[in-house]
Amino acid sequence: MLKFIIPTVMLMPLTWLSKNKFIWINTTTHSLLISFTSLLLLNQFNDSSLNYSLTFFSDSLSAPLLMLTMWLLPLTLMASQSHLVKEPLTRKKLYITMLIMLQILLIMTFTATELIMFYITFESTLIPTLIIITRWGNQPERLNAGLYFLFYTLMGSLPLLVALTYLQNTLGSLNFLLLQYWAQPLPISWSNTLMWLAYMLAFLVKMPLYGLHLWLPKAHVEAPIAGSMVLAAVLLKLGGYGMLRITSILNPMTEHMAYPFLVLSLWGMIMTSSICLRQTDLKSLIAYSSISHMALVITATLIQTPWSYMGATALMIAHGLTSSMLFCLANSNYERTHSRTMILTRGLQIFLPLMATWWLLACLANLALPPTINLIGELLVITSTFSWSNLTIILMATNILITALYSLYMLIMTQRGKHTHHINNLTPSFTREHALMALHIIPLLLLSLNPKIILGSLY
Amino acid sequence: MNLFTSSTLLTLFMLTTPIVASSTNFYKSNKYQHYVKNMTLLAFITSLIPTTMFVHTNQETLISSWHWITIHTLKLSLSFKMDYFSLMFMPVALFITWSIMEFSIWYMHSDPNINQFFKYLLIFLITMLILTTANNLFQLFIGWEGVGIMSFLLIGWWFGRSDANTAALQAILYNRIGDIGFLLSMAWFLSNTNTWDLQQIFMLNQSSPNIPLMGLTLAAAGKSAQFGLHPWLPSAMEGPTPVSALLHSSTMVVAGIFLLIRFYPLMENNKPIQTMVLSLGALTTLFTAICALTQNDIKKIIAFSTSSQLGLMMVTIGLNQPHLAFLHICTHAFFKAMLFLCSGSIIHSLNNEQDIRKMGGLYKILPFTTTALITGCLALTGMPFLTGFYSKDLIIEAATSSYTNAWALLLTLIATSLTAIYSTRIIFLTLLEQPRFPPLVSINETNPMLINPIKRLLIGSIFAGFILSNNMPPMTTPLMTMPLHLKLTALTMTILGFILAFEINSYSKTLKYPHPSNATNFSTLLGYFPTIMHRLPPYLVLTMSQKLATSLLDLTWMEVLLPKTTAHIQLKASLLTSNQKGLIKLYFLSFLITMTLTLVLFNYLE
Amino acid sequence: MNPFISIMLLSTLILSTTIVTISSHWLFAWIGLEMNMMAIIPIMMKNPTPRATEASTKYFLTQATASALLMLAIIINLMHSGQWTVMKLFNPTASLLMTMALAIKLGLAPFHFWVPEVTQGIPLTTGLILLTWQKLAPISILYQISPSINLHLMITMSFLSILIGGWGGLNQTQLRKIMAYSSIAHMGWMTTILLYNPSLTMLNLLIYIILTFTMFTLLIQNSTTTTLLLSQTWNTMPIMTTFTMLTLLSMGGLPPLTGFMPKWMIIQELTKNDTLLLPTLMAITALLNLYFYMRLTYSTALTLFPSTNNMKMKWQFHPTKQMTLLPTAIVLSTMLLPLTPMFFILL
Repeated sequence: MLKFIIPTVMLMPLTWLSKNKFIWINTTTHSLLISFTSLLLLNQFNDSSLNYSLTFFSDSLSAPLLMLTMWLLPLTLMASQSHLVKEPLTRKKLYITMLIMLQILLIMTFTATELIMFYITFESTLIPTLIIITRWGNQPERLNAGLYFLFYTLMGSLPLLVALTYLQNTLGSLNFLLLQYWAQPLPISWSNTLMWLAYMLAFLVKMPLYGLHLWLPKAHVEAPIAGSMVLAAVLLKLGGYGMLRITSILNPMTEHMAYPFLVLSLWGMIMTSSICLRQTDLKSLIAYSSISHMALVITATLIQTPWSYMGATALMIAHGLTSSMLFCLANSNYERTHSRTMILTRGLQIFLPLMATWWLLACLANLALPPTINLIGELLVITSTFSWSNLTIILMATNILITALYSLYMLIMTQRGKHTHHINNLTPSFTREHALMALHIIPLLLLSLNPKIILGSLY
Repeated sequence: MNLFTSSTLLTLFMLTTPIVASSTNFYKSNKYQHYVKNMTLLAFITSLIPTTMFVHTNQETLISSWHWITIHTLKLSLSFKMDYFSLMFMPVALFITWSIMEFSIWYMHSDPNINQFFKYLLIFLITMLILTTANNLFQLFIGWEGVGIMSFLLIGWWFGRSDANTAALQAILYNRIGDIGFLLSMAWFLSNTNTWDLQQIFMLNQSSPNIPLMGLTLAAAGKSAQFGLHPWLPSAMEGPTPVSALLHSSTMVVAGIFLLIRFYPLMENNKPIQTMVLSLGALTTLFTAICALTQNDIKKIIAFSTSSQLGLMMVTIGLNQPHLAFLHICTHAFFKAMLFLCSGSIIHSLNNEQDIRKMGGLYKILPFTTTALITGCLALTGMPFLTGFYSKDLIIEAATSSYTNAWALLLTLIATSLTAIYSTRIIFLTLLEQPRFPPLVSINETNPMLINPIKRLLIGSIFAGFILSNNMPPMTTPLMTMPLHLKLTALTMTILGFILAFEINSYSKTLKYPHPSNATNFSTLLGYFPTIMHRLPPYLVLTMSQKLATSLLDLTWMEVLLPKTTAHIQLKASLLTSNQKGLIKLYFLSFLITMTLTLVLFNYLE
Repeated sequence: MNPFISIMLLSTLILSTTIVTISSHWLFAWIGLEMNMMAIIPIMMKNPTPRATEASTKYFLTQATASALLMLAIIINLMHSGQWTVMKLFNPTASLLMTMALAIKLGLAPFHFWVPEVTQGIPLTTGLILLTWQKLAPISILYQISPSINLHLMITMSFLSILIGGWGGLNQTQLRKIMAYSSIAHMGWMTTILLYNPSLTMLNLLIYIILTFTMFTLLIQNSTTTTLLLSQTWNTMPIMTTFTMLTLLSMGGLPPLTGFMPKWMIIQELTKNDTLLLPTLMAITALLNLYFYMRLTYSTALTLFPSTNNMKMKWQFHPTKQMTLLPTAIVLSTMLLPLTPMFFILL
């Protein structure tokens, strides 16, 4: 794994030593190269995992997420260029450094072999993210958003630390690879209920579960573009990844405990997607749509069938690319109109026709049009929840309906209709932006050719 | 190995070449539209090869290539089913699309994005062909959703008009409601039979289960605009006329019916579902026929007539005659496409006027369109020996001679006669009498791009039924004998309709109602359906999401319950513990109290 | 102040603490503590402002009380066991009194009231001594008597300290007071683990001293005493804003910074002793501290705090203070976490 970490670390000196005009292009190209090497990870030639060392490993569950992480760094760099154009050079470099730091920590999180290592890096990602949100966000509300982000996450994850140390004391090891063989069943008792909550809460907050989600729209809306992208694409997936990993040691408690959370996430899915119907703020809409999609992942993970795990993994990857792309699109609107309010950015198709195509593709991916991987994920999740309880199809179906509605509402609102008069002199979209969108959509389409590589462990 | 599979695949492959070409510079030239049109023609000709072979040798094939994914025991691969339905449907769809494309070159010539329009039309067709040739549910779903999304794009083609956008969104919304059913049955098949392959599903479900079939019926009702989910179809008239023509003839709306036809091996054993489908179809056909009676927009009338015909197809499926329903899909496609093209010609000539009250007397100015329109209307009503007759008459016969739900049959018969009424109304108001349009319109129907497609479809509307019904291998035993009065029922109903229409039209010239009757209101307001269903539920849902989901839960209670309460408690605690005057006397007092307490508690009580 | 006297006082300060830590005789230990107090009071009064006077008076009174209590405890123990050895404390009453006396010296809640008051009244450098060096002597005695300390009393006091340290800091804008409250909270963490694993107390003390040293050095650099002044750091030394932020977050105990290490180890040790609820509560209460550190971070590094134009003129004055130790201190206070196993072996 050092073959990814060391080059990523070396991006920092690259940033600080590059000539002024090359800081963006150097970091972008090099991180893109690194992300290409990460494609090697997809070659998971056996069913267990690739052990690189005692510290790092990768298996078919973490490989797609790792790939997504590394893929996203060049994209975030590309996306933030015009956002930072007026900043002094040092701040630009600092910003890039923060993104790189975040990347390093994320790679380490997804590859950590030890649970405690996973925990530490999981928490560490908070710091660069927090800095990105609160230092480079636009509105004063970003401070509140940063606090919400930090404290929700920490409140959730501190019990996890205690639970992990307890596990360490009882089992003597926190190694992922050994854990599934060593783990003792967690019999049903009230103290184990608390234990289960301690294990899961961190991830449920991170996902976020409905009711614990307030930090997400705030953080997403206030963060600068790179922050939103990374948050939506990767940081939320930390929760899903953690849940998929940790549930293996929580049986049979999960079956007992899952019900309230399943209900909550199914209900929350409907609630958040119906919130999307009434959003006026573009970024907030995308953020709420993330919550509703992540609710599917929570549901799938809690049901604990191989199919639902596959669906959850596929959905995470698909949502990572889609929501990140939507944020990029929202940002390119924002950079032109300086407003996130949808009513002020109508009818952009006439000005930016190619951008409208990207919008269309992104919205279609968001509403899970076949044969995108979004649909594969959703179908697997729907099927597994359906066989868990037939009635869930009602909620799932409602959600699908509302998702389609708000995705197209967003599309129609921003791209179609008559344009407003104050946006007559828009800057045409840059090649950089088109490349950015293409780099989002191409993996999404290519992955639908062979979705097996992102289905996680096929058991 | 013969030409069977290769030419079918060639057909599909040829259609994709213009899409690939759209990424080249050629896309910018004005030859692209002709290229697309010619490619469709070539594909049509190629597709005739396997169809002819099928007609002659009755051979069916399955191509299963390119293994896509295996999840546990579920194997999904790209597979095409070339059977009765897909092979018969392909040339029909291609022929009609070809004509419509040629028409569009004329109709859309002033549109700056005409090449994109053609590409969209082509993708629309391709998704429809994917749908018809698909052999597994996932592939079918790709086509299914693709058709839906393309219709969204095409209906909303004039994206500056908010009406067009609303109509497009409405279409997607109703289709999505149908998709719920589709997804339900996909999930059911997956969890119960562990397969999405059609043959395997048919093999494994001998008992024909209710749940997935209800799902499929819902899906078909959504896509084919059956009663309850019908309002999107007339709204879809906001799109350009070629789109309406394509949407209503050979793509999109028949997809739902096609789905049910595909699943007839399951349907045919399930009486409750059949009865449901029958009643649904009968209700649709009558209701939409009533709605069509008083519409003034020429395209809306034709749209409602499509809806009514779809209901008729649904009735046929309910009668357990899927092959007959399929025949009606094919015949209906010809004259419905032509009717739309005629209306397009009229609308274009009258400077985008769609109101039939402002037409009239066009038979002198547009003689060719008039001919085509009248033939189309007659074919629609099932006039003997025109195309519509060959399927419609059989359907009515099958209905009258079956022993199922009499009420449903009665409704269907009434709807049949209403068809004649509104067809006559179109003819009367647009073609006959005095002109009622402004005199300064440039009317010209000499352009071959306009004439040829209509001509072609006109020939189709006259002869296609004959050719099709003579060449399609019969799948069900036709009824050999029946009483004369049953044989004549269809014709009688139609003629009754014509007579009534003549009467009513002569009335409407002389008599004028001081105020419209309730029945008229019912018809003009589309059965009050949009008024109720498009106001109340969206209002409730949106209010709920605003007031309950956003304001009450998200912005109030969630904030209050977790962050605000926590902050409040901490604030109070903070004030309580740290606000003090800095008096050392009190410090020492607190020291004393603590020490006393500690000594008492820990020293003497332990 | 006269350099000679200054050196005298400082060396007494160092000497007295050393005496306390190495003595095994109660009387010596007590004398060391008294010397320590006597030495610090003049340092506190270096600038005889009314505030400093008040602070040193308060300090003197509380420390004297603590010393008297300590003597009382020593004598009770003497009467009971007849010997003066520090390690041998058998009488429960003596142990309770002793614990409380040392708690007063350390400023554990509910004996904490003097800490913010005194720290606020004295200069930053003295504040640094008060909050770091002055903790050594009492902790060393606590370390030695740890086997005989009453667990319930200790846990109660330490948890209260963590709570008070969190809540108190929320209500402050004065940096010295904030640091004082943060010290109270840290003391709480140290004393929680004292009975389970005294080595961890030492570890925590070490890390705490490093962090507080860094933080105070950063503050001394610009003579910053209020949040408002802290928010002007970017005028003079922009790079310091980043370091201030990292140090503050490290104090808050966010991984992967140094401050996480003691918290992690303490939680680990407590769970090893089958205490699960307490560490959870402690960890969550520590978020209160993190909150006010975050507030400082916001005003320092993450926003441009609203200010008048005059205040922005500070960039004209170049900092003259030499801060040789600062880079090392910053590195130590942010990057020690990977060395955790080493500390584990050392302690």
